[in-house]
Amino acid sequence: MKQEDTINYRKPLQWGEFDPNRRRNMFVGMWAWMWQRITAVAIIVLLPLHIVLTYKPWLQFLLLLAVTFHATLGLRVILLDFDLVKVEYQKALIWGLTGLGLVVFALVWWLIR
Amino acid sequence: MSTGQENIRKVEMYRYDPTEGGDGHFDTFDLQIKDESNTTILDVLIRIQKEQDATLAFRYACRVNMCGSCGMVINGREGLACKTNVSEFATNERITIRPLNHFPVIKDLVVDMDPFFKNYEECLPFFEPKEIVEEPAIIRPDSPERQAIGLATECIACGCCVSSCTMANYHEGYAGPAPLNRAFTLLNDSRDGLFTERMDRVLQSCYNCRTEFNCTEVCPKEISSTRAIKFIQRMAMKEPFRKIEEEKAAAEIENVEPATVIGKAEPVISMSNNGCVGCTHNQPDVGRRDFLTKMTLGIGAATALMVGGVMASAFVGPSMRKKETLWVPAGKMDDLQVGKVTTLNLNYTETIGIYKQDNVKPVMVWCQSNDKNIVVYDSRCTHLGCAVRWDKTQNSFLCACHGGKFALDGSVIAGPPPRPLDHMEYKIDNGNLLIAMVS
Repeated sequence: MKQEDTINYRKPLQWGEFDPNRRRNMFVGMWAWMWQRITAVAIIVLLPLHIVLTYKPWLQFLLLLAVTFHATLGLRVILLDFDLVKVEYQKALIWGLTGLGLVVFALVWWLIR
Repeated sequence: MSTGQENIRKVEMYRYDPTEGGDGHFDTFDLQIKDESNTTILDVLIRIQKEQDATLAFRYACRVNMCGSCGMVINGREGLACKTNVSEFATNERITIRPLNHFPVIKDLVVDMDPFFKNYEECLPFFEPKEIVEEPAIIRPDSPERQAIGLATECIACGCCVSSCTMANYHEGYAGPAPLNRAFTLLNDSRDGLFTERMDRVLQSCYNCRTEFNCTEVCPKEISSTRAIKFIQRMAMKEPFRKIEEEKAAAEIENVEPATVIGKAEPVISMSNNGCVGCTHNQPDVGRRDFLTKMTLGIGAATALMVGGVMASAFVGPSMRKKETLWVPAGKMDDLQVGKVTTLNLNYTETIGIYKQDNVKPVMVWCQSNDKNIVVYDSRCTHLGCAVRWDKTQNSFLCACHGGKFALDGSVIAGPPPRPLDHMEYKIDNGNLLIAMVS
């Protein structure tokens, strides 16, 4: 504790601010979490719009897409939370569930609608 | 792979001089490496320090992935310098080496690990037996408990996971992956006696994980702290029930012995305050919980109101609406015989709220003289609502239920009906008879 008075510590690096290779440290799990947050915000914005502007195909498309991503990624976290799928399959879950979600989305949008 | 081939590598090294301060910078060193597949980053560091710059500061001890001293960020990814080979990176790629994230930098690659070990201590990383036993406790290697813990005990506390964890940066007081992993190995150990104390300390932290798996990706020992944190979260689901049980037990003790409890055992751990000065980990985050509770209740109530309102107006609304008179076509005026009673069946659809029903209702039409002068009788008996029929031979309307009898003009002749037959409104449009159906 006394040392801190004499030695200047550099404040902690947060993400390797000027490391030329910092982008290598971006794993898919982090993007999955990030993308779920982004789609959550998108849903908050699009849902009231959808209520106000009814039957706008572009709006319906965007909303359904956002909900698809948010739901599939959320399903992944639920499956991992309750140990229904082993954590070693977490990456497979991202691609698998998102892919499945997009297939269902495509079926709903182009076949059923 | 460039085995046996000499190669000049450019190594970019993070430098920070505490006497100068500032942000620090990257220095570039050229290094000739004979056998890349046989050269670790730690070898590179030692050679640079010996051959080129003696002021380079870094930590190492065991050189064989056992001690966890040489954790650093190599080409953007956390790892042990002694476990990372130069040949892992393409020959034309520069190697960048910098200290771990989220720790104050003392000099060059040396970071202050104090925050890490404070968090580690906070999670009570030591084993405290429940009871002193002579014989070793028997936990079979294939028991679910041991299987669940697995190799999570192999953690060497190098700090790579904390450095890679974005949540360690954003959540003040988050214990971090390695301390939680350590806590998990002991929480899941049936021999351990500090379950409640440890659980109290990690309860807040275990919810800060966002399932990003960064710690799992970088761990040199291939431990998944995310998995450990999920385990603690599942254990934490039982916590509210445990708290209730404890409170009950405490209340019972107080009831039995209101005076000073002599035999009450001191808690084994009493370092909650002096063990970790200035930490706020084990103080429940009341503001956040309170906020979340209120938000949940508020949003729940608002949603219930909105959904309830829409449902109510959709389902109850139509039935409250004032009904319009339904004009049901009954046939041509020309078909009615003068001076006689004709029974007509009216087919119409009745709407009750959102429910639609097809009805058939008989009415009796008495055509008195010419086509304009008719009376339409409702076939409902005024007594209890049975259907009334016209009887030609008796020249009166008869009700089969209780012997009600009405004259041609609708007045009661016999039986219990309290009033004459009801008339129904009608209108004649283009020679068609329309009868008003009011329900």
